[in-house]
Amino acid sequence: MGELEDRRTAVSEARFESLLDTAADGVIVIDETGRMLVFNKICEQLFGYTSQEAIGQNVSLIMPPEFSLSHDRFMHNYHRTGEKRIIGIGREVSGMHRDGSVFPLELSVGEAKTAEGRQYIGVLRDLRSRRAVEQRVSQLQAQVVHMTRLSAMDEMGAAMAHELNQPLTALLLYLQAVARQIKSCHADGKPPSDKMLEVLDKAVQEAERASHIVQRMRQMVEKRDPERATIDLREVVNEALDLSEFVAQGATVTIRRVFGMTPIHVDADATQIQQIILNLLRNALEVAKESEERWVKVSIGSDDRSAFVSVTDSGLGFSEDTGKSLFKTFSTTKKSGMGLGLAISRAIAQNHGGDLMADPGGNGQGATFTLMLPMHRPDEAEDDTWG
Amino acid sequence: MYIIVEDDPSVADALQSLLSGAGLSVRVFSTAEELIHSASLTSEDTMIVDLGLPGMSGGELVRHLEKAGANPKVIAISGKSSRTIARETEGLSDLKILRKPPAADWLEAITA
Repeated sequence: MGELEDRRTAVSEARFESLLDTAADGVIVIDETGRMLVFNKICEQLFGYTSQEAIGQNVSLIMPPEFSLSHDRFMHNYHRTGEKRIIGIGREVSGMHRDGSVFPLELSVGEAKTAEGRQYIGVLRDLRSRRAVEQRVSQLQAQVVHMTRLSAMDEMGAAMAHELNQPLTALLLYLQAVARQIKSCHADGKPPSDKMLEVLDKAVQEAERASHIVQRMRQMVEKRDPERATIDLREVVNEALDLSEFVAQGATVTIRRVFGMTPIHVDADATQIQQIILNLLRNALEVAKESEERWVKVSIGSDDRSAFVSVTDSGLGFSEDTGKSLFKTFSTTKKSGMGLGLAISRAIAQNHGGDLMADPGGNGQGATFTLMLPMHRPDEAEDDTWG
Repeated sequence: MYIIVEDDPSVADALQSLLSGAGLSVRVFSTAEELIHSASLTSEDTMIVDLGLPGMSGGELVRHLEKAGANPKVIAISGKSSRTIARETEGLSDLKILRKPPAADWLEAITA
């Protein structure tokens, strides 16, 4: 090899280096054994290693452990079978920063046959920002859905209060009229007149009018038989929590999830159950936001008959008085809303054969709301024994 | 004379039963317009008016009567929130407000 050739090689290598370092994407080249040969500037930013530190190391350095184990196997398989799993195909993978944080990447891999054997050129693009946008959009959507549900409840409450007002007013006035009549008859020593019976009849009619309104509302809650399916409570609750993380007051409140490893199957309408969870969570977040420790704990458990979802906040619990009116419609300690949320949630739970209970906490303990649902029982028909 | 202006027939009827049962003379109107067309009020009269009337509202009716120089004793009834009531009766002088549903004996409140 002549001097000129050496210089040329040096120049082209320097060009290659500078080209790599101005690239907008991360570029990594590895050899057949997975050793990194090139690690450009963008990679230094992505993974927190300098190129000197990275070059010569196995590429598993920048993968989460669960991937790094299989990477060598993938490469080995490819060399043996030639079956392309990723080469020429872009795919989304996880990368791991020096500090242990895992983030999404888009990876496309090309192959080059060189004098030193096969080399693979990986181009990496950080997907965090795109993912964040997607997440934010879905969170916003969820929030909108959530808000509309709640405001629908509140509007229903306001409409009911308004509607109930008239018959109740009439009813009470009729009763006041009759009571006065009876008193004055008594005073005069006269028997009560037929007119009084008429007024009482009218009073009864108004009471019926009021109760029809309440029945209508009950039908709204119980309108459809819930679309029951056998669901894993953990999944359904998880989804509800993901949806509402955004509503967690700019993430100043930590949501702790305490779930077991085994599925907990209940027969329920997933949407309605999520409605309850969202409702409990929203209340808990409001309390937690004002508390010192700012957390909300959501735990799921079961015994052989029932499944439980408990939502505890880091507040100071609620008073006995509050507890008395907690599940009554139109009672709310909040400035907005008619306090229908808990009443409706309890109605939904009972509709599922379960219940919604409240533990006031106190003495430094926050309040806990527990949703109880009966465990799924396999029918004879779907009994999965080999009989 | 006691004048009731209330669009809900049951409430109007119940109120009428209560007042006439106590021997008072009562007239009932279901809208403000109807009252303006067919009756003139004096300071001898007591008008019980629902604030949430269809068409001309109770508050507007009271203002209209004030302008026309009629000054009956006015009792406003409403099932709305206190904030709404305050807004609807803004600038109206001394009127008594009874809230639906009744929490006390309305006859006493009206004849007091």
